[in-house]
Parts: sequence; structure tokens; C-alpha cells
Amino acid sequence: MSDEGASPPARVRVTAPRPGGAASPATGTVDRALPHVGAGAPTSDIAGVYARSLIRSQLRLAIVFAVGFVAATALFVLAIVLVPGLDDSFVFGVPVSWLLLGIGVYPLTITVGGLYVRAASRNEARYRSLTEEE
Amino acid sequence: MNPVIGYAAIAAVALASALIGFYGLRISRTTSDFYVASRTVRPWWNASAIGGEYLSAASFLGIAGLILLQGAGGLWFPIGYTAGYLMLLLFVAAPLRRSGAFTIPDFTEARLESIWARRVTSTLVIVVGWFYIVPQLQGAALTVRITTGLPSWVGSVAVAIIVGVIVAAGGMRSITFVQAFQFWLKLTALAVPVVALLLILGGGEPAPQLTPAEAFPPAAGPAELDAYRTVSLMVALLLGTLGLPHVLVRFYTNPDGVAARRTTVIVLVLLSVFYLFPTAFGLLGRAFAPDLAASGEADALVLLLPGRLVPGIGGELLTALVIAGAFAAFLSTSSGLVVSLAGVISQDLLGGSVRGFRIAAIASSFIPLLVALTTESAGLAGSVGLVFAFTASTLCPMLILGIWWRGLTARGAIAGMVAGAVLSGAAILGGPLFSAAAPALRPFLEQPAAWTVPIAITVTVLVSRADRHRIPRGADAFLTRLHVPEQRVR
Repeated sequence: MSDEGASPPARVRVTAPRPGGAASPATGTVDRALPHVGAGAPTSDIAGVYARSLIRSQLRLAIVFAVGFVAATALFVLAIVLVPGLDDSFVFGVPVSWLLLGIGVYPLTITVGGLYVRAASRNEARYRSLTEEE
Repeated sequence: MNPVIGYAAIAAVALASALIGFYGLRISRTTSDFYVASRTVRPWWNASAIGGEYLSAASFLGIAGLILLQGAGGLWFPIGYTAGYLMLLLFVAAPLRRSGAFTIPDFTEARLESIWARRVTSTLVIVVGWFYIVPQLQGAALTVRITTGLPSWVGSVAVAIIVGVIVAAGGMRSITFVQAFQFWLKLTALAVPVVALLLILGGGEPAPQLTPAEAFPPAAGPAELDAYRTVSLMVALLLGTLGLPHVLVRFYTNPDGVAARRTTVIVLVLLSVFYLFPTAFGLLGRAFAPDLAASGEADALVLLLPGRLVPGIGGELLTALVIAGAFAAFLSTSSGLVVSLAGVISQDLLGGSVRGFRIAAIASSFIPLLVALTTESAGLAGSVGLVFAFTASTLCPMLILGIWWRGLTARGAIAGMVAGAVLSGAAILGGPLFSAAAPALRPFLEQPAAWTVPIAITVTVLVSRADRHRIPRGADAFLTRLHVPEQRVR
């Protein structure tokens, strides 16, 4: 999951218009940037491209993790409902189905949260390394 | 129940909160200290404070009561309360911290460059805050009535006064310390009784009133839940957390966006640990105190169970601890809400001075008091759930789209917030009336989030699209600021 969210900045590294680099799909940006090359202004336009791609990759990351969490929770609950006998087997006098629903989702929440923080920081580190190369 | 325990526990919590509050007063001197604790609170402190502020009467008393009353349906509430912080982490935490705004209306104005969008947001924040304080005061009324035998209104009035005074005196800095203390108090106050009860019950005495099969009938189990209601509740709790004013203001006290994320993960851990205990109380209650559900006192389960199961002085001490924790819950959530409301009211109406903050703090604790005194509690967890549904339909779409979509315009945001407020407000307030006329609509009115949130988002997007040429000029620069990591100090 995290790799998928982290890939967009890598793509930018390949196609983003560096000074002198022309073969880019984002031609509009390049055209506007070119007249300023001598003035040192393109840095800000390129910075804009980098920033937009950072925002896109962070949004994709957030959506992937949110959808992943909801899907995993739904599957877990479906399993509790569908696996036979969980309502009738008791641990400490409580049905296993109740215990699973009461406890099971929290470890998932913490795991997803921790993985997301690492992935989001990686996106930011990549953005930093791109902008500090300038 | 011995009323002396109740008095002693309540007095001890109020005194401890006031002491920590006044200790904080000595180091909160500037306006920035008052509003956001000068943004220098460490992640662990801040996470404890967020937990302290978030765990309200609904968490401390309401969840156990709901599990006792409804069965497995009640288990979904703590899951939603916790997962709401996951959504907050994914979509809001770091960008919001980087926005540099003090309050949600500040954010709206900076993002949308519109004073009207700000005014609509401020109004919603104040409405949400007031309606969230009301159940806290009702919880206090219940606790005081059950534990001391005094009339209900005494509890509401006492909490409103204590909160008003603490907030007006100390501002955010002192509140951060008070909240952090109160988180650990609340956790102890549920964990110790649960462990003690389990140890005592492990000896087989006293015997449960119901057999396991009677206490946990499959009809009230996870498999028999209404799918629409569960999904709609989850939409409300997952997305509603994003928009709660007292939750958001707390993120401004992180030093930077990365710290805001780290803080949120710690909050996830703290909440996950905490919610095991109200869940345990609820499950114990189903076997050992089912009569409370019949008598309509389900919300008092946490307060009454230790005294019922543990004889003598041990039971009285555990009861005192639980009462103290319950009061910490009312005080901390109300004071967090009053801080954020006072921030909004004083900035919009009173010029943003420290004096204005104090006046606004007093006002924001007394208006909900009037509502609490004139209305009847309809289940703590349930009424807080409705506030989440309202927030999810109003402030959440504006925040998420404002943070992630450059195409959001002021008109789009206002249209979406008004649409969400009107629809969810009508469903919540008019629900009993409408569903008497058309019983088939009942679940949709009682849990409106699953349809009001999509409608609010759609309205926001469509109106913004139609209004495309009014995209704020600074939108790109502002979005960049939200998402680009802070300069590292070298």
C-alpha cells in the first residue's frame, strides 16, 4: 500500500521540467517557465509542480489507507458474522463474536495509523530531496 | 449509596483541576499562550491532553450504558470514536497544523478569503460546541443525583461554574496540563475497578444474575445489527471527529505538522487502551446488573456496578474512584469545548483580546447550562452521536475539500455547510415528528449521516464548480503551505 502511495513523486522526478529539460507532458508549465530561466524565477514554478505532485501523492496515500481500513474492518466484521458457532462459544462467559468485535478493530486502527505516518513522511522526505537539489 | 463518597470524590477532582489550572496560569502570560499554548506542547503531553479532552461523558458512562441496553450495537461506538482519529490523521492533522490558523473559522477565512464563509463556520462551531457541552452537563446531573442524592441541577451548575472559572483564568496552556492529568485519571478510574472486579468475580462470587446465553443473546449480537444504522453511525463518528472544534484547536498546539501526526498516532494508542474498559464494564453489566437497563438507568452502570459487586469499604473506594473519573470526563470535555468556543467567539465578536476570551469563556459555559437544565437526557452516547452526525454533515466536507481540493470556493463551502446543517438538523430535531407520520423513514432520521454527508459534499462540489471563476487567488499558495513540510531548523 505504502509503495503505491509513494510512487507519484518518483514519476515527477523523471518528467518534471528541469532547466533545459523540454520533453515533458506538462508543456504549459514549461512554456511559461522558459522566459524566466535567466532570472532564476523558474524555481518557483518548478516548486509549484513539485508541491502539486506532493499534494496529489499525499491525497492518494490518505485515500488508499482510508479505503484499506474500511475494507479490512468490513471483512473482519463479515467474518465474525459468517463464521458459524462464534455466538455459542464462550470465553470468560462472553461469546467470542462479542469479544472479537469489542477488541479486534483497535490493533488494526493503530497499525494503519503507524504505517500511514511512515509513508507520509517518506513522501515529504522525497519532496525535500527534490527541492533541495535545486 | 453513601453520599460522603460522592462529595469527597467530586471535590477532590475539582480541586486538583483547579490547582493544575492555576499552576498553569503562572506560565501562561501571552495572548498566544491563552489561545494555543504557544504551540510548544510535546507529543506525549499533547496526546494525553487530546485523549483527556475527547473522552467525554459519552465515553466514560455512555458506552457501557449502551452495551447494557442494546448489546453488540454499543460496541460500535468506541470503534467509531477511535477510528475517527484515524481519519483525522489521514486527512487533516498535519495540513491543519501547518495552516497557521488559531481556530476553524480562521482556517476558513484564510483558505477561502471570505468573511461570509468565516461567519457561517463560526456559527456552526458555536452550535456544535454548545450541543456537545449539553450531554456533559446532563452526565454531571445524573452522577450527582445517583451518588449524592442531591437534585440533578446541582451537578450541571457545578460543572458549568468550575469550567467557566478554570478556562477564564488559565486559557489553553493551563487547560493542556489539566486535560493530560484528566486523561490518566479517567483511565485509572475505569481500569482499576475493572481489574478488581475481574479478580473478585474470578472467585465465583457473587454469581451473575443471568447465564451467559441469557446475558448475550444472539439476537443482540454482532450478526443481528441493522446494516444501515451501523454504516450511518460509522460515517457520523469517522467523519464527525474531523470537525469537532475542541479536537481541532488541540492540533494547533503541536510544534509542526510531523509532530501533529506523531501525536495523533499516540492518541490512537491511548484511546484503544482506554476503550477496553468501558467495553468491559458494559459486558459485565449485561451479566451482573441487567435490571439497570429495565429501570432506565443504564447510563449509571459504571457508577453503580463496583458498589453492587464489591462489599464494604473496597466497594466504596472503587465507587469514589469511578465518580472522580466521571467528573474528570465532564470537566475536561466541557473545558476543551469552552476554550475553543471562547476562542471563536472572542475573535469574531470581542476583538481577540485576553479579556474578550474570558468574557466569551463565561458565556460559552452558561448557555449550554440553560439548555441542559430545560431538557431531558435521552441517553448520553446517543445524543453525542447525533452531534457527530451534524458535524460530519457540515464542518467536515468544508475542511476536507478545503485542504485537498483547490477548486473549493467560498460559495460552494457556504452552500454545502448550509445544506448539511439544514438536512441533518431537520432529521435530528424533527425526527420524532416525521417518523410518527412515516415509520419507514425512522432509521434514516435517527441516523442521518449516511445520506446527509454525501449530499453536503455533492452540493459543495457542484456549487464550487459553477462558481469556478471565483476560486480564491491564494488557493494554490495556501494549499502548498498546508502540505509542504516545514523548513528544518539547522
